[in-house]
Amino acid sequence: MSAEGAQVSQAPAYEMALVRVEDVVKHFPIGAGLFGGQVVRAVDGVSFEVRSGETLGLVGESGCGKSTLGRVIAQLQPATSGHVFFKDTDLVSLHGEKLRRMRQQMQMIFQDPYASLNPRMTVGDIIGEPLQNFGISRGKEREKRIHEVMRICGLNPNFIRRYPHEFSGGQRQRIGIARALVLNPTFIVADEPISALDVSIQAQIVNLLEDLQDRFKLTYLFIAHDLSVVRHLSDRVAVMYLGKIVEVADSKEIYLNPLHPYTKALLSSIPIPDPDLEAKREPILLKGEIPSPVNPPTGCRFHTRCPIAQFPKCSEEEPALEDKTPGHRAACHFAGQL
Amino acid sequence: MVHKGETVGIVGESGCGKSVTALSVLRLIPDPGKIVGGHIFFKDREVTRMSAEELREFRGNDVAMIFQDPMTSLNPVLRIGFQIKEAMVAHERFDNNAAEERVVPMLKKVRIPAPKDRAKNYPHQFSGGMRQRAMIAMGLSNEPGLLIADEPTTALDVTVQAQIIELLRDLNREMGTAVVLITHNLAVVASLCTRVIVMYAGRIVEQGPTRQIFYNPQHPYTWSLLQSIPRIDSTQHDKLLTISGLPPDLSNPPPGCLFHPRCRFRVDRCSKQEPPLEEVGPGQDARCWVLMKNALAGAESTS
Amino acid sequence: MATSPSSFEPDTTFVATDTYEVGEQMSMWQDAWRRLRRNRLALVGMAIVTILILTAIISAFWTPYPVWIQSLGPTYQGPTAKHLFGLDDSGRDILSRLMGGAQVSMIVGVGTATLSSIIGIVLGLLAGFYRGWVDAVVSLLINIFYGLPDLLIVLLIVAVTQQRGLQNIILAISLTAWLGMARLVRGQTLSLREREFVEAARSVGTRDVHLLIRHIFPNALGPIIVQATFVIPAAILFEAFLSYLGFGVKPPTPSWGAMASEGYRSLQFAPHIILIPAAALCLTLMAFNFMGDGLRDALDPRMRR
Repeated sequence: MSAEGAQVSQAPAYEMALVRVEDVVKHFPIGAGLFGGQVVRAVDGVSFEVRSGETLGLVGESGCGKSTLGRVIAQLQPATSGHVFFKDTDLVSLHGEKLRRMRQQMQMIFQDPYASLNPRMTVGDIIGEPLQNFGISRGKEREKRIHEVMRICGLNPNFIRRYPHEFSGGQRQRIGIARALVLNPTFIVADEPISALDVSIQAQIVNLLEDLQDRFKLTYLFIAHDLSVVRHLSDRVAVMYLGKIVEVADSKEIYLNPLHPYTKALLSSIPIPDPDLEAKREPILLKGEIPSPVNPPTGCRFHTRCPIAQFPKCSEEEPALEDKTPGHRAACHFAGQL
Repeated sequence: MVHKGETVGIVGESGCGKSVTALSVLRLIPDPGKIVGGHIFFKDREVTRMSAEELREFRGNDVAMIFQDPMTSLNPVLRIGFQIKEAMVAHERFDNNAAEERVVPMLKKVRIPAPKDRAKNYPHQFSGGMRQRAMIAMGLSNEPGLLIADEPTTALDVTVQAQIIELLRDLNREMGTAVVLITHNLAVVASLCTRVIVMYAGRIVEQGPTRQIFYNPQHPYTWSLLQSIPRIDSTQHDKLLTISGLPPDLSNPPPGCLFHPRCRFRVDRCSKQEPPLEEVGPGQDARCWVLMKNALAGAESTS
Repeated sequence: MATSPSSFEPDTTFVATDTYEVGEQMSMWQDAWRRLRRNRLALVGMAIVTILILTAIISAFWTPYPVWIQSLGPTYQGPTAKHLFGLDDSGRDILSRLMGGAQVSMIVGVGTATLSSIIGIVLGLLAGFYRGWVDAVVSLLINIFYGLPDLLIVLLIVAVTQQRGLQNIILAISLTAWLGMARLVRGQTLSLREREFVEAARSVGTRDVHLLIRHIFPNALGPIIVQATFVIPAAILFEAFLSYLGFGVKPPTPSWGAMASEGYRSLQFAPHIILIPAAALCLTLMAFNFMGDGLRDALDPRMRR
């Protein structure tokens, strides 16, 4: 382990946690009635914390449940069971008006800049809606605030009366970010905020998000499938597979010393824009396909594709997500052995 | 230009014209677009002048193409094996029985497990990665000289993407089929292609051997793009370099070099005259008045 | 490796958009109007409808002759200089009665479209948004009403209330016409509620009622307008039919349907009495249909951009 990898946070996690997710489960029923009973186990028992002021990256491939988890945390989808503590309140126990009020502190940035803005509303209305919902400022005051937040996000305030379709993808995403910012939240769930954008625009938005975090002391849950971007932006990274978290560690540590075989395979598959390096690399190719979340494998969910799976342990006993080294958690019976 | 057995990557962002260029090779541009100038040659035949009958023979036979979303290119009501066989029979290179016999080995070649059973499946029973493999099998079934892959892995997970890229690399080696990979992902190009063509606003702004493009890019757009991509193995946590502004509106393009409004190295000439594509190194061409080697040297001499 | 940009500061300045980067300012309505203008048939339809509206308005204040005066000349008289469309079986001026009938048709048409739309939109929004038992109840209502013949419902209402005023007719027809709108809006709501911008609005604390009013309803407006436009000719026809049968407006209030009914007996020797209101009806229905078609194409989101 290099000196970089050894720099792991020392403070006890729970003390600084802004958001604490505990055993969250989200199942979607399919086929009502006749074929009843079948569920898609999108999120199947997930626990972690997001510390105040940090960016926690949540990565995984399609079907791993990260987007669903993001929505459950943001309370846009009800959890099937489990708790989501924001500061000291369990959001899952809130309903109606109480939950609505809570939204002032927790906001979301969405993936699709084309679908997440109401095409019939002007930019000013879209950004101003949160203010209207909570009766914050009116008239000239409100307009001033909207102009301010537009400027902060790199949008020309003169375009306040334009419609979303008149803007490019990157600008629309800025509108979405402005909307999330206008209530001065402390916590933002960003669900793949740059995946739908062009490469040259992605860097602009990434920089914007970083600057906003510094300026407003925001805490981010950054959900993405692009590990390179996640690594760049995040302090810590959590890796998900088939509804469960398989590894959590500092972003430097997770790259230098991945303990879970899935993480290792994932990292080795990510192409690097460096021809000589690529020529030398050999990606770890996983056998088989991602299993269906309706019928996840027994024991460790990854065992069907794992290069180092050992039977019967891996197919019978589900490994717990626990500290293998301080601050570095992995759910594997043979962590670090790939 | 694509040489025999070569792997070429065409990179650029949305709207840069890379897909349109590839579709033009097969003369598949949808109305009202059309080819208004220039020529396309395949081996020694001019594609731009081919008749409808010649084109039908040409497509799928000499040049095959696979697309980003295999769900829309595969017929959902026909079995995979049947569709691959059909691709062969339609070109009359193999008769029905011979084609039938080639299906399973073809599926095996693209590493689809249990090929005999899988040939009887329908597209919706395949995962995204497997559908893409099936498309590759279909494309290569007639042993074309060239396979054009338009964003074949953009919709796939990164682990599946690695598998597909490996597959394309191996097939290129084994079968000698030239591959043109169209993508916006520079990193994928670094792993698969021997030559790279960078496009911006409908023009080629730089092209050359992969190593040179990545280690010594001469066009500011290429250089900036490389600087703006976060790398998984980077040790610093600096801000990403960004390219300010937006791609140009092609119905109202800026004067001179199309990239100049966003270029941090521009000089006066850039806004007046569009530079030609010229050689800037062994086998490397760039379309720029300034060029990175001059821009960086100049900057260092002033600092 | 590419030369490190040590001499260049990373670009941390915020990008301000310039005017040339944003497209032409145009709302959905302006775009729709542009498209509508290009549709000739729709323009013809709109022109006729405009004439109709004007006629209806004018007839409230003036007609060549009062509509109820009889024996202005020999009965069944054909078109003359003094009476451009001739006289009916009671010697009343047909042109004047036609204008009066236009008023009736417009009031019934627009009134029904408005009332049935309000009922249909509200029920459709609630059913589509809340689903569950609300949807079950509304869908049940729709299916019940759908199964009953419209004519029966209307006749029942007319019989029960013992009135034959315009308001009653509007009410009666609306109670059959709301179905189409409710179904349409329900379908629109079901799909719109899943859209990401609705989810985003919820995430910024928007209450349900505002989700419906600010987000879902405006995005369903296109098909709603088209549907309402088609209700007008249907209502006009229905009223004409009712009046023809004798269940519509009470005489001497002119209604094209009643006029046609009166002219039926004299078809052989005084065809103008039935033909003229029938032609007016035909023209009106066609005009509204062309206009509706044009509106539907103009508001179709897929044909934009």
